Amino acid sequence: MAKVKVATAWLDCCSGCHMSFLDLDEALIDLAGKIEITASPVTDIKEFPKVTVGIIEGAVSSTRDEEVAKKLRESCQILMVWGDCACFGGICTMRNLFPKEEILKRCYLESESTPHGKIPSSEELPLLFEQVRPVNQVVKVDCYVPGCPPEAKVIQYALKELLEGRIPVLPAEMMRFD
Amino acid sequence: MSEVTLTINGNKVKGQTGNTVLEICQANGVEVPTLCHLKGLSDVGACRMCLVEIEGERRPVPSCTYSAREGLVVKTHTERLEKFRRQVLELIFTERNHFCMFCEQSGDCELQELAYKYQMDNVRYPYTYPTLPLDALSDYLVIDHNRCILCGRCVRVCSEIVANNTLEFGGRGFKTLVSADLGQPLGESSCISCGACLQACPAGAIISKFSLYRDKTGECQKIATVCPGCGVGCPISVLVKDNNLVRIEAPDPTVPKGPLCHVGRFELLRETRPRITTPLVRGRQGELEECPLEKALDVVAHGLNEVGSSLAGLTTTRLPNETLALFQKFINEVAGSSLIDSLDGEDYRIISQGIKEFQDGSKGLDIECPVDEIIKADCILVVEADPVSTNPIVLTLIRRAMRERGARLITIDPERDIFPLLSHHWLKPGVGSTGVLLTGLAKLLIDGDIVPSGRANSKLVRSLSNYAIDEVVGATGIERERLELLAETYGHSQSAVIIYGGGLLAKSQPSLVTSLLTLAYLTGNQVGDKLRVLSLKRGVNSRGAWEKGLAAKGLGQGRPRGMYLLLGDDTPDDGVLRRLSRAEFSVVEASYPSAVTELANVVLPSPIWAERGGSFVAMDGTKLEAKRLLEPKAGALSDEEILRKLARKMGHDLG
Repeated sequence: MAKVKVATAWLDCCSGCHMSFLDLDEALIDLAGKIEITASPVTDIKEFPKVTVGIIEGAVSSTRDEEVAKKLRESCQILMVWGDCACFGGICTMRNLFPKEEILKRCYLESESTPHGKIPSSEELPLLFEQVRPVNQVVKVDCYVPGCPPEAKVIQYALKELLEGRIPVLPAEMMRFD
Repeated sequence: MSEVTLTINGNKVKGQTGNTVLEICQANGVEVPTLCHLKGLSDVGACRMCLVEIEGERRPVPSCTYSAREGLVVKTHTERLEKFRRQVLELIFTERNHFCMFCEQSGDCELQELAYKYQMDNVRYPYTYPTLPLDALSDYLVIDHNRCILCGRCVRVCSEIVANNTLEFGGRGFKTLVSADLGQPLGESSCISCGACLQACPAGAIISKFSLYRDKTGECQKIATVCPGCGVGCPISVLVKDNNLVRIEAPDPTVPKGPLCHVGRFELLRETRPRITTPLVRGRQGELEECPLEKALDVVAHGLNEVGSSLAGLTTTRLPNETLALFQKFINEVAGSSLIDSLDGEDYRIISQGIKEFQDGSKGLDIECPVDEIIKADCILVVEADPVSTNPIVLTLIRRAMRERGARLITIDPERDIFPLLSHHWLKPGVGSTGVLLTGLAKLLIDGDIVPSGRANSKLVRSLSNYAIDEVVGATGIERERLELLAETYGHSQSAVIIYGGGLLAKSQPSLVTSLLTLAYLTGNQVGDKLRVLSLKRGVNSRGAWEKGLAAKGLGQGRPRGMYLLLGDDTPDDGVLRRLSRAEFSVVEASYPSAVTELANVVLPSPIWAERGGSFVAMDGTKLEAKRLLEPKAGALSDEEILRKLARKMGHDLG
């Protein structure tokens, strides 16, 4: 049987969900026989080919996040999101409590470790949105794996369900928001 | 009340009229999800999680506010209801900050549990991200409005269980916030920091500063025991992990001794004093020096042998019966002394003398009523007592009686109105005239025919016949009208409870106690063979110690050469200090350093309340059993072990 093509991306996040995926340890060897990871932060391939499964970690915080989310959506048949940031907005949404300008000022001008700061402004840089959003408010999402991060065994369960031809819905006992 | 039969999910079940549909579901093992419902509180139908379908109703109705009727056909888990419930959860999550990964209560949260149960893996609505305040000014509690779901459990528990009415809803609609006293910070409000709201909160909106990040309920061992804070002896559940106290909860806040006070819920966790962990013996330079236990006990044995039977034993009443009995035996049999007393022994001698003068050969302390009687009272007379500082839960019981029974609260105190915002009447007898006031009251009750026939015996009537109310007015400085009003209010009540305490006992006049008992007797304020009179006692085992005869005679005016003080984790007062300073040789068993340990010849480490178990007798006679919660700190032998070792060194066997 041909390997299932998978692409992953991370948006506004801490990369913890991808780390949790790598925590599958020896199960990764088995998995490598079944899936092919194409574009991904893990492979450092940037351009999404056509894949069966797209996976997103992180919330949509900038124009870059939105673009990546839309591109991956177009490239995949099934879009799965990992972690509370992608599912709900998560910890990234803490900044939604303040105006964007205040956040930029605090980060680039006022932070204690910044002696001569400057708020970055270049056409090449993505722009922050006023509000951070979960992925499903930007593109259609087919399945969700919440958790901060989701445990390796939960990620494994979701991938196994997909490989067996089902859209995964986490059972109550696998649900975690922390 | 009559029986009704309902059909729930196709099964016939029985309940009573007056039950809600939710109650009948729960009684029959049908699990209906709830957030705003809490056992013992009124139901308000705020959260909409308990929606059910009832035949004949156009739309789903909240089962918590729907009264059961004969023949109702109820469905609790249809596809439509489950869809609604998940939708309700999603809406709650969008309203405020319910991101769990940085919430202290994650893992201990009813909202989170329900979201897991309903597999809420995404939210279909936009979030609102309001910026709401955090109130962290209280010594004990933090209110984070961002985590609040406005279920109102804290508001209802504050008014219905604690009867303190501090918390309310302020604002309207989306801007509604739980508010203390119209928007005061909790720490500056009328909040008594009982923590009932903390226990009632189903989310992470109210958190304890003393249990913060210590651990989750599921990770702890939960042990049922007794609060050592005062004589009331409220039941508590203590959560323990890795030999540390994590949190204290009320096992059932709805019972009279249930809601707890700031001492039981927080102060017991707040202890930061350094512990005494090794024996200390006064060296040649007069300084206390660390000393191995055996050697320290040799010094004690030698010192006690020197003073012989001229030894006084003094003990806190925070210790269990077993320890006290052994201490009594040690002083009596090993030292051969009859000088023994409890720190609060003087209180006992006045109370018991007062009871004896009222009724010779009576059952002693058994004449006092249970603490629960306060909550059932329609009139409460607080005579020179300060429950807020000595027995805080008593104030909650008083407030409950006022809320539920419309009880009249009368305070008698020469110095201040102990409940300035609460009491209906404050009588301020001039200095030393409390006794005159109480006798005058008895006279008014008899003269006004308020006393049921047969209650006033001829001796009493005769003794009062020449008693002039005008003289009472003169002596107390209280107008006649107010005295009459007091007599009528107290006399015409159905169940009036008299509470007295430290202020009255400090006067060392047993006759005052007798007068109070007489008033209760005259007005028929009796429950079985008990009178509705209650003295406030400080130690959780004051009554246990007193019933052992430990405080029967006191230490007298003599000057014993030796002094053995069993202090445990209690705080000594100046009287103890004076006595100790007069002794040639003194031993103190204590958990914490204090002025008395500074004076002692030998200091021996003693366990704290959580490190010992045993039986207590609460101030109203209730038998209590305390569990040991923690392994003692290294070096702290139990007081019993120390007494036994010492006895052996002195040639006695205490078993």
